Parts: sequence; C-alpha cells; structure tokens
Amino acid sequence: MYVLLAVFAAFFALPIIWLVFEAIGVHLAPIAHNLGLWLFNSTLYSAAGAAIALATGIPAGYAIATHEFPGRRVLLILTMLVMLIPTSALVLPLFLEANEVHQLTSPFALIVPYGLYPFGVYLSYLYFHTERFHVLLQTARTDGCNEWQVFRHIALPLAKPVAALIVFLNIVASWTNFFLPWVMYWSTDTTNRYPLPLGIALQLFGGETSGEYLGVVQLHTTSPPSAIAFLLLATLAPVVVVLVLARRWIGSGQFQSVFR
Amino acid sequence: MKSRSPLRPRKSGYLFIAPYVVLLGAIGIYPAGYVVYMALTSLSAHFTGLSNFIDATHNAEFVPAFENIIKFLGIWLTTLVVFVVGLSLMLHSLHGRVGAAFRFVLYLPAALAGSASVMLWLFMLQPGKSPWGFVLSWLGYHSLGDSLAPAHLPVIFALIAFWSGAGSWIVVMHGALATIPDEVLESARLDGAGAWRTAVHIKLPLIKKWIAYMVIGAFAAGSQLFAEPQLISEATGGLANQAWSPNQLAIFLAFHYDYFNYAAAISVDLLVVAVICAAVILLRTGLFDVGH
Repeated sequence: MYVLLAVFAAFFALPIIWLVFEAIGVHLAPIAHNLGLWLFNSTLYSAAGAAIALATGIPAGYAIATHEFPGRRVLLILTMLVMLIPTSALVLPLFLEANEVHQLTSPFALIVPYGLYPFGVYLSYLYFHTERFHVLLQTARTDGCNEWQVFRHIALPLAKPVAALIVFLNIVASWTNFFLPWVMYWSTDTTNRYPLPLGIALQLFGGETSGEYLGVVQLHTTSPPSAIAFLLLATLAPVVVVLVLARRWIGSGQFQSVFR
Repeated sequence: MKSRSPLRPRKSGYLFIAPYVVLLGAIGIYPAGYVVYMALTSLSAHFTGLSNFIDATHNAEFVPAFENIIKFLGIWLTTLVVFVVGLSLMLHSLHGRVGAAFRFVLYLPAALAGSASVMLWLFMLQPGKSPWGFVLSWLGYHSLGDSLAPAHLPVIFALIAFWSGAGSWIVVMHGALATIPDEVLESARLDGAGAWRTAVHIKLPLIKKWIAYMVIGAFAAGSQLFAEPQLISEATGGLANQAWSPNQLAIFLAFHYDYFNYAAAISVDLLVVAVICAAVILLRTGLFDVGH
C-alpha cells in the first residue's frame, strides 16, 4: 500500500516541483511590463467581485436564516440549485447578455458575474441558522432593537469567520478563472483587460508553432519556460496569501464549532 | 445543530435579500431566460420551436463533440471514483500526521486551479522539456503534437482533470470518513475485521452519499469542459480541433453571428444537463436539507 501511495504522491508532486525549479532561474525584465497590467486587472476583478459577493451574501444569508417571509424557502432552494450548477454552463448566456448591453469589453463584464455568489449566501445562511444566534437575536429584539440595529451591532461583528471564508473562496474562483475572461476579452482582442491567466496564455502561445501537421508540433513560447513557470506560480501565490489571512480571521476551532 | 426556534414574520427580510435577489435576477435568471429565448427563436425573432435544437445536431461537429465528451467523462469518472475513494480509504487507515502529509501533497495541484494546470501540463506533455520525458519517449512520442494526437485527448483531459481535482475530493472524502463514529470502527475491530474488510464493508457504504455527490458534480462540471480543450487547440496553433467539446462548439458558433441561435440551442442542452445534475444532488443525495 505504501508503494502505491508513494507513486501517487510522486505523480501529484512532480509537476509542482518542476514548476518551482523552472521558476527559480527567471528573468523578469521581458515580461515585467505586461505582468503589472495583468496583476492589476486580476486584483481589480477579484477584489471588486469579492466585495459584491460579501455585501450581497452576508445580509441575504442572514435574512434567510433569521427572518420569516413569503418566498424564503423558494429563495433558499433556488440559491442551492444555482450554486450547484458549474459556472461554465453560464458563460455563453453571460456572453450573450454582455453583448446585448454592450458591456463586452468593460471590467463589469467580469466583476458583476463574480459578485453573484450563491454559495456565499448558503454559507452565510448556515452560519446564522444556529441556536446560539437565534437566542442572541431574540434577546436583542425583546430589548427593543430594530432589525437594522440587530444586524449592524450584533450579527455583523460576529460574522467575521464566515465573511473571511466567503472572500477566500470567491477570490480563488475568480483569480484562476479562464473561461469567462476568455470569452469576454480574448475573442474581442481586448488585451488591456486581460487578467493573469489570459496573460499567461498569451505568453504561452504567442510564439509560432512549427509544422503543418501534428507530428512536428512543438511548444514555442514567447518567453522561456522559466518565465511561464514563474507566472503560473503567481497564480498560486495569492491563494496562499488569502488563505493565510483568512485563517487568522477564522481562528482555529471557532468556525467549526459554530457549524456544529 | 440547526435551531428550530420560530422565526417571527418580518418584512424587513426583503430589504436584506434585495441586493442579492437583484443580482441573481440580472446575472442568473435573465441570462438563462435570454439564452432559452434565443434557442427558441430565429435571427429575426420568429418563434421557431425546437428547430434550432434539431438543426444544431446536423452540424458536422455536433455528434463528434458529444462523442468526445462522453469518452472523456467515462474515463474520468471511473478514474475519479476508483482512485479518490481508494486513496481516501488508504489514507484514512494511516496515522494522523502521515495521512495529513499525504493529503497535503495530493491537494497542492488543486490549489493551482483551472487553466494554470492545463498550461503546466502542456510542458509535461512536451518531450524534451518534460520531467516525464522518459515515459513519453518510451511511448514513442517525439513532439507535443504526438502527445496531443486526437485519439489521446480524452485520456489527457481525464489525466489533467484528475491531477488538478482529485486532491479536493480526497479532502471532502476525508471529512466524510471523519463523521463515522469511533464506536462503529471499534466494534468492527473487536469483531475481528481487518483493515480491508472494514474499508469495504463498513466505511464505504457510510460514505455513499458523498461518492454520489462527487460523481454527479464531476459529471456536471465535466460535461461543460471548455478551457482544457481550448488551450490544447491554441497550443497546436489550431491544428487540433477547435470544436472538440460541445461547449467549444457552442462558443465557436456564437462568434459567427448567423449561428447565434444554434449556439444558444447547444448551450441550453448543456445547461439542462447541469440543472438536472444540480437537482439530483439537491433532492436525492440527502446531503442538503431542503425541508424547512
């Protein structure tokens, strides 16, 4: 059994190890100019998207968990349904819509879709739908607080763990997203809006491929493999950073205990 | 775990959900409705019923695209179930730290999600640049084109999907296995069951729900495959098929205005698959509580 596990470990780890070694010898100068642009774009889309996801998701999940209103259950089921649909299924519909409202080359073509995060609403709902919160809120209500005060002064300060989780998961999804930006920007050649994954693809395929038939095709990249490797690691780095920051906020056992 | 205390009727709930509902309508409901509308009408907005759906199937690339995706799904889902479940069970029988260390290694590729892993694998498949070079030359491949020969593609995509996805699923399975009460495992041990019997007859049936979730989820996501075949196509300068998967075909058609409606039809086909899978997970696996 250990042999099998070792083989699998090698299979999974080897490409990553190769990546690290390749990236070590990188000369950044040739790609630095574009790298800044791609990093800026990626940061803009991911940060703005996460902000919208947070601003819409926390209140919605909170309300579904603690308020009774007609349509509540329908909204919850709809949320769960949409969150289980792979995002790639919605790319072409979003493309058609962006085309219709003439937003195909604007940052909003990505930011607004990234802001729709039903899974965040679901996480927020799970977080607030506990005995502990109901008791807390009931006490506040009987003490005479109106709903907005309850939300602002009790629910919100206590929401840090789930907020951190929502931000983290949303950023991971949007930072590495390829399909949606590709359809919105690559096809219309809007190179100044490229996020990092698209920028890497540009470096990867900018060179000419040799030969007219498959038998002699080799990868001729615009930049050397070390630069590509470095860029690929760059897609990994923010995930690690956000994870570290989020863990600080989430705390070691606090989050798990709320879910139980 | 979940509170059963009554929720008092509150109209203020509407204010809290309003921003989210607006977004859901604009980015979720409206595009879905719009694409269905486009699929059911012609360019001049005449209602055409199902004719777009039928005409789309006459496209030369339609059947091959669906054949490709089915081959891919067959290989991938089988690999996923056998190895994810197998690896999870094996790791579960290890001591805490060792198991955690293995899980971390297996999870690393999953953090490098999406297109980055495909691009990494283009290097892995290029004889001469790849650390797996010895395997490639043993197989007789001397160029990237050899590795990417059409017959290999379903296997390659399954490989990439497995490499980048298995880690997350193993973490999920680990969580699932952790919910098995110690008493159950203890009494199995006392009854004389060895590691293998415990794994197959006790642990496995208890995590059936999560395996079903994984299979259905992977089926839904896999059927929508786009980025991987598209990047492979770009890597070969377009020599490899640009409409390998149904989603690629839909996008390809969408960029030619005359075929917008056919693109919408294929997109609706895929969307229906995704919605059915989501509904099945929601209603049949019992992993999500819809009953309140």
